[in-house]
Amino acid sequence: MSEAAIEIKDLRVDYGNFVAVQDISLSIPYGEVFGLVGPNGAGKTSTFKVLTTLMEPTYGEVSVAGFDIFESAEEARRIMAYMPDLAPVPADLKLWEFLDFYADTHRLGGRRVRRERVDECLRIVNLFEKREAWCKELSRGQTQRLVLAKTLLHRPKVLVLDEPASGLDPLSRREMRIALQALAKEGATVLVSSHILSELAEMCSSLCVMNQGRLLASGTADEVRRELGRAERQLSVVTFGDPEALVSWLRERPGVTDLKVDGLRVGFQFTGEDVDQEGLLLGLVNAGLKVRSFEEESSSFEDILVRVAEGNREV
Amino acid sequence: MNEVKRKGPIPAWMIWANPIVRRYCRSRLRPAGFGVMLLLTILVSGFFFFVVREASSRPGLSVSDVARMPLIPLLVIQGIILFGLGTGQAAAGITTEADEGVIDYQRLAPMTPLAKVLGFLIGLPIREWLLFFATLPFTIYSVWKGGVPVTGILQLYTVFVMAAILYHLTGLLAGSVMKNRRWAFLTSTGMVLLLYTIIPQASKFGLVYLKYVTITPVFNEVYPYLIARPFGEAASLYQEIIPPARFFGLNLPQYIFTLISQGVLSFAMITMLWRRWRKADCHLLGKVGATGLFGWLQVMLLGNALPLIVSGDLFPSRGLRQKFGRFLPQKESWAPESWEASVMVGLYGVVTLACLWWLTFVISAEDQGQVRGWRRARKFGNSKLPVLSDAATSVPWTLTMAVMGAVGWFIFANALMESHWYPELSLLVVTPVAMFLVLASGGLGLSALLESVGRKVTGLIAIFVGVLPLMLGVIFAVSSRELITPAVWLGGICPLTWPVYGSGVFLWQEGMPRDVARALPNAYWFWQGVAVLTVIWLLTKLREARKAISERSKEL
Repeated sequence: MSEAAIEIKDLRVDYGNFVAVQDISLSIPYGEVFGLVGPNGAGKTSTFKVLTTLMEPTYGEVSVAGFDIFESAEEARRIMAYMPDLAPVPADLKLWEFLDFYADTHRLGGRRVRRERVDECLRIVNLFEKREAWCKELSRGQTQRLVLAKTLLHRPKVLVLDEPASGLDPLSRREMRIALQALAKEGATVLVSSHILSELAEMCSSLCVMNQGRLLASGTADEVRRELGRAERQLSVVTFGDPEALVSWLRERPGVTDLKVDGLRVGFQFTGEDVDQEGLLLGLVNAGLKVRSFEEESSSFEDILVRVAEGNREV
Repeated sequence: MNEVKRKGPIPAWMIWANPIVRRYCRSRLRPAGFGVMLLLTILVSGFFFFVVREASSRPGLSVSDVARMPLIPLLVIQGIILFGLGTGQAAAGITTEADEGVIDYQRLAPMTPLAKVLGFLIGLPIREWLLFFATLPFTIYSVWKGGVPVTGILQLYTVFVMAAILYHLTGLLAGSVMKNRRWAFLTSTGMVLLLYTIIPQASKFGLVYLKYVTITPVFNEVYPYLIARPFGEAASLYQEIIPPARFFGLNLPQYIFTLISQGVLSFAMITMLWRRWRKADCHLLGKVGATGLFGWLQVMLLGNALPLIVSGDLFPSRGLRQKFGRFLPQKESWAPESWEASVMVGLYGVVTLACLWWLTFVISAEDQGQVRGWRRARKFGNSKLPVLSDAATSVPWTLTMAVMGAVGWFIFANALMESHWYPELSLLVVTPVAMFLVLASGGLGLSALLESVGRKVTGLIAIFVGVLPLMLGVIFAVSSRELITPAVWLGGICPLTWPVYGSGVFLWQEGMPRDVARALPNAYWFWQGVAVLTVIWLLTKLREARKAISERSKEL
């Protein structure tokens, strides 16, 4: 068995002159819930489509559980499951028929064995009572859950889920998160994408941020936050002296913007490296501005993503 | 993690266990929908069965004669079900899958591409197959009571099933290429309609092979047994003068040759679909495959036509005389007219050019495909595109096909003109060169346009150069006798007329209307000259365009 469940090397996807994915490399170990986050058009879906053998990249090497997906596509498909964004379902099948068809393609066994597995998966996604309903009768959230059940059918080693939580209510999101984490505990690798970073932060053991076809940062949620929130940070100083004096002093400092006074607390945006921040604190103390506390407020994931989308910073 | 016991991928030949077939058995054979259709089919078949039987009962006809009479109406109903509705369903079904987006699930299913192709081939029209089987009891009863030879009826229905598979494959292919399900349905059923209306007419003008993509040859052979004996005996006389299935020096039974012809075409289509299921964005055929298919079509066209020249069976007037001789003015001996050879040669050229365009279209890469190909090649350290890759230029392959087509066309024309039917005629030395120029300028022009400006712009150019002048020419020609000359000049702009003009110039020596005879050579040579110069210019531009694409692929 290879060391990484998913190995992507120098992957590139072009649509004519538009570069959707630009030479990205990723290695995701077994048992990980890995999040891929980025704004719309970041290249997440293209990456997933290549990974799931739906699209041929311009170039790049991709292997899933040790299988080269270009050389051994069928083997890779047997151990992999994919849930596309806005997952479609056929209009002419009932829920159990839809799942039974895919259980059949994976040759899970005879009719009875397949039926048991189909029912089990329908129960996992809370759709068992609707097993005789038509797929076309489901709501958006129910459809997402049905397709999630389809991806779980053959107990895949690698799950690739593109925006799986879109359309789900908070309860269903929570259930999905628990189901995915349980799968990861059993050894499956889950690769999940979203443009909502906080959503991924809750469920992923590690994640990476993508924008305009490039990988900008990867690691645990905190590491990504630190890495991307490094150059711009929200700082606040509480003084037991005169806040106006503090504001006047700060206004003269390079990298300080967006000053806001709230009683004795002065909040501001600071642009600079760690060493600059250290210099700023030293300056405050040396200037005798009676500093009670100096704090770095962590950037919210949404702020980070907005900045990423706007600034397209390369790491 | 709990492991689920799985077997290997389903073998393609196990149709009954194919999940796609089972899926469509479920969705298309639900009692509500299928039941109504089944009832309707049995009612319609039964109605025609009894009405034709009862209406045919008359003195002089035995019980077995009367029993045979419903066979042809039943065959027509079966054809409508399986050829028409089945083909439409195959096309619309696959388009629907793509439209709904669920086709991606099927792509990801761990089945071999061949198993997927066969699954859709059998599964999508499964209802039509069962409706067809539901009509068979009436046929079997008629065959049994009518004393129809079982061998003949088996031959007919073997070919019928083979033809249905070929048409369903065409439907699948249309569905894979088209995006709109309604258009896919209409196009594929329209194609089947053409096969039984227009194409048989072309087969009477030298393109004998075309009739073998239908069930017509075997039907004609078995026909006397499908009607009452007194009529059948008369039909047998006509049957004796039907050209046999000849392939160069071979004499083959009609049904065997039909099966071979349709089998090879089905194989080619399965290959195309297999390629699409293996890689969604690859060309339907590779460059070698397309060239091979073109060569095969040439061999088939020639193989069927050449053996019929000496006997005269290839000529339309011979067929007409044999069929309606008693209504035509009697001549002491029959001989073909010189215009017949010209028309046949022209038609052969048109069909060859159409095949060349189709295959050139299949193997030519647009700008986007070339950019991707270049980037991939560079990544692997290549300074050139692999010759056989989809992104590589189609120009040499189109040229090869043009040479093959010109050789086939010349062989056909030469065999006609050198035959004993035209002792006073022979081909000019320049003819093979002219034939090559017609095919090469048409084929290379399309290839250069597709690769440099893409399909949409090429489509627009085709409308303005190919369709519009021809339509105007026809309007001019029918509106006034005095406008014949401008009509000939206008029509000459359309590349599809070049083979016809060429054969008129080189082969038709007498009997041509004077104003046409005067305008035709001038229009032909002028437009051929323009075409050759345009193609040279387009190829130069293509060279520059490909170079620019190659450079652009380095940029990003």
